[in-house]
Amino acid sequence: MTTQTPTRPRAAVASGITVKDRVIAVFPLLVLIVLVLLVLTQQPNFLSIASVRGLLESMAPILLLAIGQTFVILTGGIDLSFAVVSSLSTVLLALWLPDMGVGALILVPILACLTGVLTGTVVAFAQIPSFIVSLGAMGLWTGVALTLSSASTIRISAGYDVIGWVTDMRIGGLPVSALIAILLAIIISVAIRVLSRGRALHTMGLAENALLMSGNPTRAYRILAFALCGLFSGLAGVVLASSQYSGGPSLGDTLMLPAIAAVVIGGNAITGGVGGPLKTLVGALIIVVLRVGLNAIGIDPAYEQIIYGAVIIGAVVLTIDRSRLGIVK
Amino acid sequence: MSQSGPQVADSPATGTPSRASSPTPPDPTAPSGFARVRGLIGGGGPAVALVVLIAFFSIATPNFFSVSNASSLLSQLSILLVISIGLTFVILLGSLDLSVEGVMASSSLVFVLLAANDRNDLSLGFVALIAGVLTGSLFGLLNGVLHVYLKVPSFMVTLGTGAIGVGLATVLFGGRAPRLMDDGLRGLGFGNVGIFPKLALIAILVLIVALLVQKFTRVGRYGYAIGGDEPVVRLSGVNVERYKVLSFVLAGTGSGIAGVMAAMQLGVGDVSIGAGFQFTAITAVVLGGTALVGGIGGVGKTLVGAAIITVLANGLILLGVNPYVQISVQGLVIVVAVVATGWSLRKRVRAIK
Repeated sequence: MTTQTPTRPRAAVASGITVKDRVIAVFPLLVLIVLVLLVLTQQPNFLSIASVRGLLESMAPILLLAIGQTFVILTGGIDLSFAVVSSLSTVLLALWLPDMGVGALILVPILACLTGVLTGTVVAFAQIPSFIVSLGAMGLWTGVALTLSSASTIRISAGYDVIGWVTDMRIGGLPVSALIAILLAIIISVAIRVLSRGRALHTMGLAENALLMSGNPTRAYRILAFALCGLFSGLAGVVLASSQYSGGPSLGDTLMLPAIAAVVIGGNAITGGVGGPLKTLVGALIIVVLRVGLNAIGIDPAYEQIIYGAVIIGAVVLTIDRSRLGIVK
Repeated sequence: MSQSGPQVADSPATGTPSRASSPTPPDPTAPSGFARVRGLIGGGGPAVALVVLIAFFSIATPNFFSVSNASSLLSQLSILLVISIGLTFVILLGSLDLSVEGVMASSSLVFVLLAANDRNDLSLGFVALIAGVLTGSLFGLLNGVLHVYLKVPSFMVTLGTGAIGVGLATVLFGGRAPRLMDDGLRGLGFGNVGIFPKLALIAILVLIVALLVQKFTRVGRYGYAIGGDEPVVRLSGVNVERYKVLSFVLAGTGSGIAGVMAAMQLGVGDVSIGAGFQFTAITAVVLGGTALVGGIGGVGKTLVGAAIITVLANGLILLGVNPYVQISVQGLVIVVAVVATGWSLRKRVRAIK
């Protein structure tokens, strides 16, 4: 019986699919296509290689952050510290690259992963809502990043070659950073389908108690989700440091809202259990096309924040599964 | 659950510091004056910590215990206190408001742009002040309605509305900070009366009103009960939705007042006028003894929490400690405080999001 558990929720979900679920499943893709068509009417050369390259370059760090966040949101939690961890990663890279070279490139994502392990461990063992723990973590790592960098941007000159390829390298004219991020999204999606425990995080979001009762290490799963989030935040930090030629204590902070918006607008339910990295990929594409599109139709970039806020609330309102919420706090 | 909501609601002022650490129930007989104060600000931990901190910094630094530093302490405390007081009403529900910085930005700009300023020809005087505060209330109303009626977790709603607030402020800001030219309005919040900063007088006024609201109005009393055990309150026929929305309106109003106060103090409206306050305010509320799970705490306790944060920030700077370390410490404080209050409530089989 125990070995069957991961497949059971899938069956339960399959039988319970409603029209609304189907609409939500294809809606983000439709939004993306409509957005692209709209932008094309304003900018006929929008799908030229140069334009797409710029689009993908700006998408890479957002997508990496958003994929990381997807793991946590699948379990029904949220990690508010992820953007700050990416900022901290850029600072650590800037400090360590000159001396350590490749070592820094390996060490920084590992440390970022460990920040996730820490957050996940506190959430899992103290049984505290993840948004509070990660809010605290956000303050902790902001302070660390500010202290290490003396609150200033550190330019990376010596040792830049180690991360320079992330920005400079092109495959078929497209930036390698975005291609790697997209490839990761695809690999993870395949892993979720193929691996016997691939849907463990989905099940965490849908029926954690059932998972626990059937003998699964739910604490380990939860910590794993946060660890992956930390790891991807670290990778986003590498991309950011590479594209900005520097490390800064708040370099990645502004990506927090677009990244969360990408996750929820892609159709990942904030209540957990529904979604995956491919949905997040669609969400990230929507966010960057939206940004370019607003520019194209002449809307002031000042309105960007308002749109992120509205998108987050709107997407959550649409995708949230109210039947599984008791008291909403 | 050892304590149900209504019991907590009956004795907010006499105070139950924490479910875990107070095995003896509060004395039901009429408390003495001292006990009354103790109940209000929360006896024990936080108050003692505040006194110890003040004593420590007075000895450790020559400049801490002086009239001029007391005045600057009060001034630093004022805006934080007003935000934290508003936030207390929401945290008592077990919810959270993450829109503080965005709301402050919007309300400061609405206030400055409607008062005499160097951007446009408007000069609405007190109407501008009220409009600035009401901007905050409206954001609170939006938060409450979205959270309560669309059943979206409050931190998610307020993350979104906070971004909307920053966006709105960015649009109003238009590239250059508008200056407040109405000397009458500026004078309300800038400068001192004797050694008392005017901002502190406003904060005291807000504190008194908040204490009255907490003790004598339904939104104040039901807040405890809803945070303690919402289903029971609902079953007893209380319109839970209404009082939850009202609590969010109170929090938004607090941020609105804080935005206007900051604009008076600095003489400009600014997008980043609330930067850093969100985090500090949550820490202040939690440090004071209001539990993030809801149902326990109060405005008086928040005063102590905000005072601890302010004394700590001021004293550590006088000692020459790197101010950025304080942000880290605040982050740790939030987590440790929540872990400590929640540790005994852990269950072996429990799904926590």
